[in-house]
Amino acid sequence: MSAPSSHSESEALHARARTMVRAFEQGVAMPESFDALAIDLARFQAKTIPGYARLCAARGVDPARLVRAGDAPAVPTDAFKLAHVFAFDGADAAVTFRTSGTTLGARGVHLMRDVGTYDAASLAFGQVMLARGLAAPVPVVVIGPSAEEAPDSSLAHMCTLFARALAPGSPPGTTYFLRGGTFDVGGLRARVKALAPACPAVVLATSFALVHLLDALGGEVLAMPAGSRVMQTGGFKGKSREVAADQLRHDVALALGVPERAIVGEYGMTELSSQFWEATLVDEGARHGVYRSPPWARVVAVDPETLAPAPAGAIGIARIEDLANVDSAFAVITQDRVRSVEGGFELLGRASGAPPRGCSIALDEMLSSAEGRS
Amino acid sequence: MGDVRRLLECARTVHDARAGIAPAIAAASGLTVEGVELGFASLEREASDAELRALVVGAGDAPRVHVVLSANVFVAPLRAIALARAAGGRVTVRPSPRDPTLTRALLQAVAAAGDDALALVDERDVSSIDSGEVHVYGRDATIAAVRARVRPGVVVRGHGSGMGVALVSHGARMDAAADALALDVVAFDQRGCLSPRLAMVIGSAARAEAFAEALHASLRALGTRIPRGQLFADERADARRWRETLAFAGRVWEGADHAVGLAPEDSPLQVAPAGRHLTVIPVSSRDAVVAALAPVARFVVAVGTDDLGEIGSMAPAHARRSLLGVMQRPPLDGPVDRRSA
Repeated sequence: MSAPSSHSESEALHARARTMVRAFEQGVAMPESFDALAIDLARFQAKTIPGYARLCAARGVDPARLVRAGDAPAVPTDAFKLAHVFAFDGADAAVTFRTSGTTLGARGVHLMRDVGTYDAASLAFGQVMLARGLAAPVPVVVIGPSAEEAPDSSLAHMCTLFARALAPGSPPGTTYFLRGGTFDVGGLRARVKALAPACPAVVLATSFALVHLLDALGGEVLAMPAGSRVMQTGGFKGKSREVAADQLRHDVALALGVPERAIVGEYGMTELSSQFWEATLVDEGARHGVYRSPPWARVVAVDPETLAPAPAGAIGIARIEDLANVDSAFAVITQDRVRSVEGGFELLGRASGAPPRGCSIALDEMLSSAEGRS
Repeated sequence: MGDVRRLLECARTVHDARAGIAPAIAAASGLTVEGVELGFASLEREASDAELRALVVGAGDAPRVHVVLSANVFVAPLRAIALARAAGGRVTVRPSPRDPTLTRALLQAVAAAGDDALALVDERDVSSIDSGEVHVYGRDATIAAVRARVRPGVVVRGHGSGMGVALVSHGARMDAAADALALDVVAFDQRGCLSPRLAMVIGSAARAEAFAEALHASLRALGTRIPRGQLFADERADARRWRETLAFAGRVWEGADHAVGLAPEDSPLQVAPAGRHLTVIPVSSRDAVVAALAPVARFVVAVGTDDLGEIGSMAPAHARRSLLGVMQRPPLDGPVDRRSA
């Protein structure tokens, strides 16, 4: 069991994070600065997570003296595979999310004691970026498993969360079209054809699931009701043929009869509690490829060697600060390449690692292609 | 076998004249001149009859062999050419575009020795080869690309990348094992497929920590005599990520020219990047060693240990086995990786 004081401190931090989320939902000013909560999270996590205390010590950072969140070390995503990244007794975990596997076998693990903050943050921003203007109930089609079928998948959890919020009471049989690892294209076709033409729907899918859908449709147009939207997330990870993002969006738009701007990219990770979205549905000036952050999270491009912020407009790897990651790591360092641009950040794919200068095997060659959010 | 013996004589000639080519090798490889000198110690110059018989028998028979050298350590061309010479009547060699010096020097020495069966080619489209074999050294993707281009009937023997693993036994003397392993790590700045990237210490976490400290001291001492060469930006980035991960998960000892990371006991393997970095992992038992190595076994080319009798059942069957300190000097009895396909 975690110490009572740690538990109450965690509860208070969760409450502060949720207050920020509520302020966003209500369209009012944030109750406190980003850095104020971030610094308190860093101190709490250094106190309760031995690995984070070690990392701070190794980098000469005294959490008690932090004045800027950006000075707190970020936890590499690889650490989630090797060590405990949680501020409580593991037995108290309400959910355990795992990354998909790698050729080395290790999977990252993100435990959450209180999933309420994750849910509130995901829903608040997701509803704005994907479902703004839609009146509930909104039919939801998930080309993926339900949370019940994939309980360790953060993506399945998020999709189920959205489905329950947008279409309360809908039976799973009309929502999830990947069951037991099999894509039920017949069921999906029947479901879409049964949708009322005046009732826009939401499709939630990974990129590779959309490729499978296109392959299954084979040129058939499965027109969604006018006003429908599509969430597209993740890469291909060796699970389907690879299709360039622009081409995939174009093909999906044709196949589902939706405008390309209604196909919205989402960027999330098992190691996080918040997500980032393209803004093409909510901002006429927004373009695909640029992701927006909610007010309680931010993405900073950092130099991969020094981990210092990259110069404006330069490509770096993503340091992600997520105030909803209360009991794990408020700052995470990833291998995803990003560039800060007006209105958000561009996601430029994964850093490939150093190519070999000898015959010593490269790390990315060993890790192969199967790593990512499950 | 005589042809390979002549090649070894040529290697001795090149070795004797190494001062003249060391700067070019240093510039191409990123090693310091001291690092090149250490690397030359791994250039094969001697072999027993039994070793050469094994090499010749394993090499098979081909009328023509074309050797494609790409990413490799700078002494590797000798073995590659020896294998091709043992297999083929006529051999063409395309040197690594990045590091052609030793290949050129060897072939010049071979020509001077009167062997006209070997020829250097700066570039050759493998799709133009209509018979014989292509021996290709490089990343799996490079090998696959060559395979995809050759004509039907042309045999491709690919030798990919890999890594070494050190196993420190229950009975190891810490300082001696650390000194020996440091030599294996420092050679070629750890860029070889025999270079150890993990050290599994059988026993308690405290024992592994003691070994990590000893290794840190050994690498620091060796680094003053043989400084590390240049690391490229992407290598430094890999190293930084690895250091941050191990600093969180365990502990890192950082030197000017190296780093040693200690991982939690029986944890999933966190392979260190090349460039004088090593992950030390406490492993509770022999079974735990086998289990931990299973996901990377196919990449493991060499296993070094302080106790060869101890590791028999723990090392992947295909891996070369040696004492620590000589992992980079396998006998000239066949391909380094023993995984050729």
